Amino acid sequence: MESWIEFGRGPLFRIAFALMMLGLLRAVALTLIGIVEAYWRSPDKIVNWREVRSQTLAWLFPIKRLWRARPVYSTLSFLFHVGLLVVPLFLAAHVLLWKRSTGLAWFAIPQNLANILTGLAIVAGVGLCLGRLSDSGARKMSRPQDFAWPLLLVVPFLSGFVCTNLAISAKAYQSFMLLHLYSANLIMLLIPFTKLSHCILAPLSQTVTAIAWKFPAGAGDRVAATLGYADRPSWIPKARLDEVPSRERCGEVVAK
Amino acid sequence: MQLTSPEDREKALHTAKKPDVIERQRLSVRYHVEDFEVHDRARRFIEAFAAILKHTNYRVALDQYVRLSAKCSRCTVKCQVYLATGDQNDIPCRRSELLLEVYRRHFTISGALRARLLGDPGLTDAKVQEMAESFYNCTACRRCHFECPMGIDHALLTHLGRYILSEIGIAPRALVVSVREQLTGSSGNTSAIPVPALLDTLEFLSDEIKEGTGRDVAFPVDQTGAEYLFFPAVSDYIMEADTLMGGAAVLSATGGQWTIGTGYFDGINYGLFYNDQILEHVVKRIHVEAERLQAKKILMGECGHASRVAKFFYPTFSGEERPRPVLNIIEYTHKAWKEGRLKLKPNVFTEKVTYHDPCNLARTGWITEQPRELLRAFCSDFVEMTPNRRDAICCGGGSGTVSMDEIRPYRTLVGGKAKADQIRATGAKYCVAPCANCKKQLRELMEDQGVDCQIVGLHDLLYKAIDFESGETHGIVD
Repeated sequence: MESWIEFGRGPLFRIAFALMMLGLLRAVALTLIGIVEAYWRSPDKIVNWREVRSQTLAWLFPIKRLWRARPVYSTLSFLFHVGLLVVPLFLAAHVLLWKRSTGLAWFAIPQNLANILTGLAIVAGVGLCLGRLSDSGARKMSRPQDFAWPLLLVVPFLSGFVCTNLAISAKAYQSFMLLHLYSANLIMLLIPFTKLSHCILAPLSQTVTAIAWKFPAGAGDRVAATLGYADRPSWIPKARLDEVPSRERCGEVVAK
Repeated sequence: MQLTSPEDREKALHTAKKPDVIERQRLSVRYHVEDFEVHDRARRFIEAFAAILKHTNYRVALDQYVRLSAKCSRCTVKCQVYLATGDQNDIPCRRSELLLEVYRRHFTISGALRARLLGDPGLTDAKVQEMAESFYNCTACRRCHFECPMGIDHALLTHLGRYILSEIGIAPRALVVSVREQLTGSSGNTSAIPVPALLDTLEFLSDEIKEGTGRDVAFPVDQTGAEYLFFPAVSDYIMEADTLMGGAAVLSATGGQWTIGTGYFDGINYGLFYNDQILEHVVKRIHVEAERLQAKKILMGECGHASRVAKFFYPTFSGEERPRPVLNIIEYTHKAWKEGRLKLKPNVFTEKVTYHDPCNLARTGWITEQPRELLRAFCSDFVEMTPNRRDAICCGGGSGTVSMDEIRPYRTLVGGKAKADQIRATGAKYCVAPCANCKKQLRELMEDQGVDCQIVGLHDLLYKAIDFESGETHGIVD
């Protein structure tokens, strides 16, 4: 058991963390490349960057706007995210772990605060799952992963809380620590390959949308040519092709 | 907001299509579609999708959205269609998922691998039919985009979905027929108005203005080197005389150097609604006419989609190094009034007046304050609907659905219900809606929902308030 714990805290943690970072970096890089390519392809270079920036920032710190729809669910989501981001990075025990693995260290939050945030994260995580079940729209649309994720994310919080705060036997402690380590590592491995990648990609959405509305010139004709319709624009069904004079078939602009 | 009643829902979902057509086309959508190749639709859909992904910029959006969708259903709060039906299929995210799951399954590595693992057969004809139905229930008003925490633009996906469907032959006949006339017909516009009829109409409008105001206001035709080349929705020439007279009167009163071109005079661009190739070709018509007449700027009339296409797609498709500036007549009028070149008489209208923000003008924040400031200048009882401006509710006839008469019950009993309730709640006598499509939809809405309110354009009312005496008075006499 001890060696599994050491493995989970040591090499496996480093691998999972590295893969997570590389995977997220890849996702960001591909998205940025896609944005630049799309921007370069369209002749229209005017983008409302002020709007893009203000919407991006508003969604990064969405305290006011979350209340517009599903306020209870939104509050739970916000608290969940706070716990998710603060505790793994700033819990004293974790800071030691980071220092051991990367050499970097930073301040730690008081244990009481960590306990509160953990408790909130657990409650919020379960609450999110229930909230998803209780809203008929969300329930019908959700895939299995949408229910599984909040619960999976609760596991390291719950097991970590038990290890830190409850007086349990050594065997029990080891079991919970094992659960804590391996669930956390699993989560890190899954992040780049699932919707959890929104942690790094969501802020790019407003930019992506703005750029996607900038179309390349001539694309429509090239699409038609690729599909073999070069001599038949899509607005004339095949049956009526013979009725149209050939010079107008290609959509040549006719100046009167 | 109340759901549509079951009887209304029944009427809205009833289809006027004949059973033999439905059978022949294997398509039970409510709108009419010209006969097309039915065989092997799913494969051809994917081919069209692939061709589009190859040449366009949609891929970057699809890659982002397919990863990020949280299925949180926050978008339901904003969708006026969902709020009227409560139907799961009208949730914007669910509609988008119809297309996203095709993309994920057929165009991403992880999707293809997962399909192997789970034995997913891929796109089916039934799914293509579902998309053909669903993408035309959405009015692409883009309100849902404000509420999505992952920033997914469901209207972009509706737009793309329709584009792919049109490439396999599924597009509303009403739109296709108009576009065919515009691009290959002899009249060169969606309403099939020949040039002589246009000239007659312009002469008639001049006479009307002379009778009404005593002023000589001509509609300059084919002037070279004019500052503004004017493109209203061409249907205005038939149906919205007041709007055109108002616009012409403003231009005359402010000394605007403008012209209409007989080579091309239609602002309408249905390509925005279903096909990017058409979108481009129609925009190019504007460019060709502007080049022919050496016009300096493009002036769009009171039409939402026409203005949006010109403003946001002319730079892309005109092919010009430095694209001509595009403005909407409301911007022109507002600027002239602000600078004191146009004088408006106050309190010309004492009845209650409200303002409807067309999605294509207001959603990006482009034109929201200008019409309000103008209205407050000559109306004494202006009331707002809530929500408004960027968050305004769609009239229910957006994205070309208004042109499809066969789905009128759906538009007025479902898609436009929220708007009808809003207008009714204001108790207004006039509702100003500066968009040709919104006007048609709202008038049908008022009729079908039993709301007593007159739908007018902005310049319709403004025309009555222009103070010709104190402003600059350069009449362009024929």
